[in-house]
Amino acid sequence: MIDAITVSNLDFSYGEEQILSSLEFNVRKGEFLAIAGPNGAGKSSLLNLLTRTIKPSKGNIALMGRDIRDYNRLDMAKTVSIVRQDFSAAFGFNVYETVMMARTAFFNVLGFESSLDRDIVENALEATNVAHLANRDLNEISTGERQRVFIARALAQETPIILLDEPTSFLDLKHQVEIYDLLKQMQLESSKTIVTVTHDINLSGQYCDKVLLLGYRDSFYLGDIESVFEKNKIAEIFSVRGLSTQINGRYIFLTDAKHSNRGQSNT
Amino acid sequence: MTRYSRLTFTKLLISVLIGIAILIVTMLVCSLVGTKTISIKNLLSPNLSTIDAEIFYKIRLPKILLASIVGAALAVSGAVLQAILKNPLADPYILGISSGAGVGAMFASVTGLQFVFLGKSPIAIFAFIGAFATVWLVWTIGSLADKRSSNGLLLTGVVINTFFSAITMFMIAIAKSLTVHSTMIWLMGNISPENSTTITTMAILTVIATAVLIRLGPSLNLISFSSAQAKTIGIDVSRVRFLAFLITAFITSIAVSLSGLIGFVGLIVPHAVRLVWGADHRKLLPITAIAGAIFMVIADTVARTIVSPAQLPVGVLTALIGGPFFIVLLIRNSKRQNLL
Repeated sequence: MIDAITVSNLDFSYGEEQILSSLEFNVRKGEFLAIAGPNGAGKSSLLNLLTRTIKPSKGNIALMGRDIRDYNRLDMAKTVSIVRQDFSAAFGFNVYETVMMARTAFFNVLGFESSLDRDIVENALEATNVAHLANRDLNEISTGERQRVFIARALAQETPIILLDEPTSFLDLKHQVEIYDLLKQMQLESSKTIVTVTHDINLSGQYCDKVLLLGYRDSFYLGDIESVFEKNKIAEIFSVRGLSTQINGRYIFLTDAKHSNRGQSNT
Repeated sequence: MTRYSRLTFTKLLISVLIGIAILIVTMLVCSLVGTKTISIKNLLSPNLSTIDAEIFYKIRLPKILLASIVGAALAVSGAVLQAILKNPLADPYILGISSGAGVGAMFASVTGLQFVFLGKSPIAIFAFIGAFATVWLVWTIGSLADKRSSNGLLLTGVVINTFFSAITMFMIAIAKSLTVHSTMIWLMGNISPENSTTITTMAILTVIATAVLIRLGPSLNLISFSSAQAKTIGIDVSRVRFLAFLITAFITSIAVSLSGLIGFVGLIVPHAVRLVWGADHRKLLPITAIAGAIFMVIADTVARTIVSPAQLPVGVLTALIGGPFFIVLLIRNSKRQNLL
């Protein structure tokens, strides 16, 4: 079976600073991968490398078994979509217009969408449960709703691979769970390959199949949930002390604190 | 079942045709108003040598046609630059066009050049060259300074504007006051009657430019949203930005060379239209062009009637309206961003 994403021997530097070094990992078709790691380890850079927004200094990236250097712009847009964090409220687009933007590269000669594009957009709006907001301004809806709109846009791009950059930051618990439920549903029902950068390893651990822990320079670890938690790789990669445990079959990682009400400073 | 308000080509075409009809009516009404009110009866009489007909066809109509073209060009350019710079407070002059035109015009006036090219004075020709060359300079430096965002372009524009304004001041300081005064008045923005060739050429160029920009509309939607996102959705961002930039720089430079610096049209009109009709550039750009034309025709009519029989430079009038509007916009915009 061909992998959805194959990264081999990947180096990336930002100016003088080497961010990624000899990174190797693969994501199979229909898998859900979470990427976690300390700030500045290159998680967002990795997403930009996968979408070819930036170029690596060395190494290869293949999507659906094909080197990304061999893709043209349109094929790339048909293969991978990304939900980013950046949002500026400068211009008042409504929800429908925002999701329709995913179809831009496929508009007709006059620059208008086909009825197929409309069906795709309407399905995406319904799948992400934002159809009732279609005519609302993007500035008028809540952060959680807006995040679902951006996921709808990625869905409307109809790519087998969807990347997300911290889709649950700024969201409260209920909305975080909603987003992960939605991603899981997209994985299971539409067999999408999902890659999400996350800061909440406990939450994403309950949904994803594999975790890529990205540390500084050449330290990284790819494994399934059990191995990531059981080998206590999280503590190692994040350079924090803590313990992994299992509650009702679900893994969680708890950090030790120097100063806390019930700290374990004796270890 | 949710009802989606979708934009279709037919819907757009109908709105545009209605807009054009309103524009034509406005132009007709405004061309009858003035120091001398013209009666339609005299215009329709077979005898076209009446004074009314003379004023209407030789002075008012060319002036109003030019006003509408300049208004449309400036407004569309403003809307497009706001999109590609991702800055709602951008206007067509932000990238050095105004100061470039100023330097060019002052240079022609100070050196006392005397020639006529395509029926235009050296001041107009040099204003065009100055404007276009400056935009080019800003684009080159801005792209070198910051390849990935539009901030480099914006900052370069501000710096070049200040620098060239200083050069203009320098030339004013060393020049004879009489020639400088007339150039200053010219720069303030005036719509003067032009010959029919100039008007036709300008009209065709503006319509073609607007059509191309409307076709870039879907890409502009994405770019105004996020360039990085636009790339991953399959848009050739650098090509669209370059093309949009080149076209707006060109039509703005022509507008400036014909009418001097008419400020705030390119800022106010796109905003007002966006508030009512939304942000989709396929709809925003044609409606902005028509609204810009209507705004300019009315502004020009007010400028030539308010202190009649004297005439106010129309640029002064638009700036007087535009200044307070800009401040309201700024406050409204910052409030909106604080909410997030």
